[in-house]
Amino acid sequence: MSTITLYSVAYGLASLLLGALGSILPGAARAAVTNVDVVTGLGVLIFAAILLAASMLNTIVLIWWERKLLGRFMDRRGAMHVGYAGLLQNFADGFKLFRKDTVKPREADALGFFTGPAAYMVTSMIIFGVLPISTGWNSGALPLSLLLALAIFSFAPLFIFVSAWSSNNKYSLMGGMRSAAQMIAYEVPLLLAVVAVVIVSGSFSLTTIVYEQQNYWYWGPLFVALIVFVAAMLAEMERIPFDLPEAEAELVEGWNTEYGGMLFAFFMLADYLRALVGSILVVLLFLGGWTMPSWVPSAATSFPLAGIFWFMLKTYLVFGVFVWIRASLPRVRTDQLLRVGWNRMIPLSLLAVFLAAVLVTVKCVWPFGCVPSMGV
Amino acid sequence: MSEMWINMGPQHPMTHGLWNLRVKIDGEMILDVDPEMGYLHRGIEKISEDRHYNEVITLMDRCCYVAGLAWEHLYIIASEEALHLEAPERALYLRVLCEEFQRLASHLMWYAAFVQDIGLMSPFLYGMRDRDLILDLLQSYTGARMTYEYMRVGGVRSDLPPGFTDRTRKVLDWLNARFVEYDQLCLGSDIFHKRCDGLGILKANDCVAHGVTGPMLRSAGVPRDLRRDRPYAVYDQLEFDIAHADTADVTGRYLVRMEEMRQSLRILRQVVDWLDRHPGPVMADQLPRWLGAPYAPVGNEGYLLKRHYPKGLGFSAVEEPHGEAQAYVVNEGGEHPYRVKFRSPVFANISAARQYLIGYRVADIPPIMGSVDVCVGEVDR
Amino acid sequence: MQPDDVSRVLAPALGPKLLAVEPFAGMAGRVRFERGAALELFPRVRDDLGFRHLSMVGGIDWVDHREVFYVVWSDAAHQYLLLSTDVPADNPRVETASGVWPSANWHERETWELVGIEFDNHPDLRHLLTPDGYEFRPLLRSFKLHEPEELEVKTRHV
Repeated sequence: MSTITLYSVAYGLASLLLGALGSILPGAARAAVTNVDVVTGLGVLIFAAILLAASMLNTIVLIWWERKLLGRFMDRRGAMHVGYAGLLQNFADGFKLFRKDTVKPREADALGFFTGPAAYMVTSMIIFGVLPISTGWNSGALPLSLLLALAIFSFAPLFIFVSAWSSNNKYSLMGGMRSAAQMIAYEVPLLLAVVAVVIVSGSFSLTTIVYEQQNYWYWGPLFVALIVFVAAMLAEMERIPFDLPEAEAELVEGWNTEYGGMLFAFFMLADYLRALVGSILVVLLFLGGWTMPSWVPSAATSFPLAGIFWFMLKTYLVFGVFVWIRASLPRVRTDQLLRVGWNRMIPLSLLAVFLAAVLVTVKCVWPFGCVPSMGV
Repeated sequence: MSEMWINMGPQHPMTHGLWNLRVKIDGEMILDVDPEMGYLHRGIEKISEDRHYNEVITLMDRCCYVAGLAWEHLYIIASEEALHLEAPERALYLRVLCEEFQRLASHLMWYAAFVQDIGLMSPFLYGMRDRDLILDLLQSYTGARMTYEYMRVGGVRSDLPPGFTDRTRKVLDWLNARFVEYDQLCLGSDIFHKRCDGLGILKANDCVAHGVTGPMLRSAGVPRDLRRDRPYAVYDQLEFDIAHADTADVTGRYLVRMEEMRQSLRILRQVVDWLDRHPGPVMADQLPRWLGAPYAPVGNEGYLLKRHYPKGLGFSAVEEPHGEAQAYVVNEGGEHPYRVKFRSPVFANISAARQYLIGYRVADIPPIMGSVDVCVGEVDR
Repeated sequence: MQPDDVSRVLAPALGPKLLAVEPFAGMAGRVRFERGAALELFPRVRDDLGFRHLSMVGGIDWVDHREVFYVVWSDAAHQYLLLSTDVPADNPRVETASGVWPSANWHERETWELVGIEFDNHPDLRHLLTPDGYEFRPLLRSFKLHEPEELEVKTRHV
């Protein structure tokens, strides 16, 4: 395995650029630009730019993936005309939205109306800074990266509510209310399901959690936690069957009714960014991240960028399951959703935590075998 | 949250048309509703007073854009009665063929819209896809997909193209298999039952008092269907059952409409069998010239030249896909009808909105109004 | 049910206010009554004759007078019955049927705004198909189609 990491690429690129710049500059300026702090700073900036580009690109491809899958589920072909199999359709749509005028309702509160979508977008994007994608793409080697990711993830209801309220539209307000209620209700089971994973892996670091799954992935022993996590994640991502905040049948478009043009695109992108984060978290926590089981031939896991390949494959398959659910289920009602959340999901997630504790105690689970190193 | 009025419409995804449901809500609870109609009012009754009898047929297609032929049928029966004309038997069968096709197309359209209202995405496309098969069949003998202008006072415009009945049988078989899928997608889902059971209840007595007809009335346990209770055209010679349910809620209306589609398939099979066996004229021989008769009957040219204005009153009632439609045509002797009055079933069904909406939640409005199957074109006329 | 059956039930109670019960093709008959007898007639038609379902209310402008007609349906007899009354053109006014058949509510609103017939004691006589403040009666014969008029129409929600 090569030791090339994303950060070393960014740092190398920065020092190359600054070195070239310094070679044509006079002495004092040369010393200034080749200063190690400057190089490191530029390296971090390039690193962030790569992260940004990668996350945006993935999000857009994710939308394409959803459209194609939905099309097949619905007995049609999905986007077909722009690019190969419609691959560039979303770029075209994005440019169209980018060119559109931004319309603010006269009675809307400008501060909330404009900062809401921006903050929603930014917080959704920051999460990518802490998500490890493979051994080389491991920006989030923080000891508490999981906690940080979920903490940023749960900012969203605040910004949704701010932008809904400041739209000064009754539908937006109702959508915002529903969104806040729903996300707060499902935050608890989501975190409890994560607690189960943390108990078993003994770490809040996503990288450690992935490496702890070398022997078996957690989806089997922590199946209850997986179910709770996926269901709660569906609610957090506001996808059918839990897309009540933007239930278009009764609330027009929910909390983003008043948004158009680029602001709407912000919401759309942020939604899919969150969907991507959700899928990635499922892969990291339950499906072994970028690792593959030992019975997979080594040729399949040792080619360049194999980790990223397998990781993205898993992520897209997980998202495909979300799309499948979206294509086949109706939407529930707010009261039913909240009742399920408080009355069913929380006991179920407590059960998952309990099972995780049992698992740590007995250290063995059939048919996955025993792990001496398991637990703290 | 305090009480507030919200306008669901005139441009709102729930409305499926152009109307405004004003809803007074407290949080998510519905305290009061006030439907506002008229956004699509074109004055069809007034325009009809200025048109020849056959020209009104064009307007009937615009009355209900998903069941134009049923409205043509309604108007044709009433005006034939007012003008004392009769259509040949084959034309009557062709009209029944049209009406049952329209019932299927309309119910499929309803299915598509209804499942989307409760958030099911895929069956929407399935419903539209299968409706297109019906529209293709209709297009092959009327030449149009939505605005047909197929029926005429005294018959129908043209006979079926060759090979039509075989194609129809294929489509009927296909649909019969698809309806199983439809039921699996809806009734097989727990969330569907959570969203639809016990919602929008309108008991039989309230239905009758508020003039509600059609699938809504039948879902309340009253098996009333004009095709059987007051047979028109050739419905008395066809075998079919009246679909009905007892729950009086959204699920009941769903079941009734699905069963009606199956019964329509049954009727259509009998009709195409009959049409295969009985060729014949599709237009009455002797029609007054001012009706715009399609050809001059040989040896009867003098009749055509004579202006002959009989007086008369015509009333007809047709079991339209949405319910019970009526037409009242007053013929005062003249080229134009003196007065035409239509009764739209959806008009009455919406007028009872207060009875079946108050007390439920905002999120229940789309399923409930979806189960009413609103077609604004015929409400506003 | 035949016209004779209808008049046998209605005639004793209404007396001379029941003008005639005529045969009508496809219906149980056409009951013509004095407009003042509306409130006596409707409950009898509903309860004694069993026509519990009011399907349609409409108006016809005969220039010298106007006619209001009601179509009712009986589930027992599987028949329609047409009720009709004449009202003078200068005072087109009749008692509402919505107390007897709630379904008359919207039909009467429509008849009021399009044919210009006033329904006394109607609970909610507002514009239905035409905008609020619309002062024309389109279904009157005096409203010509080919002579567009200058309209100033108020919007519904300001």
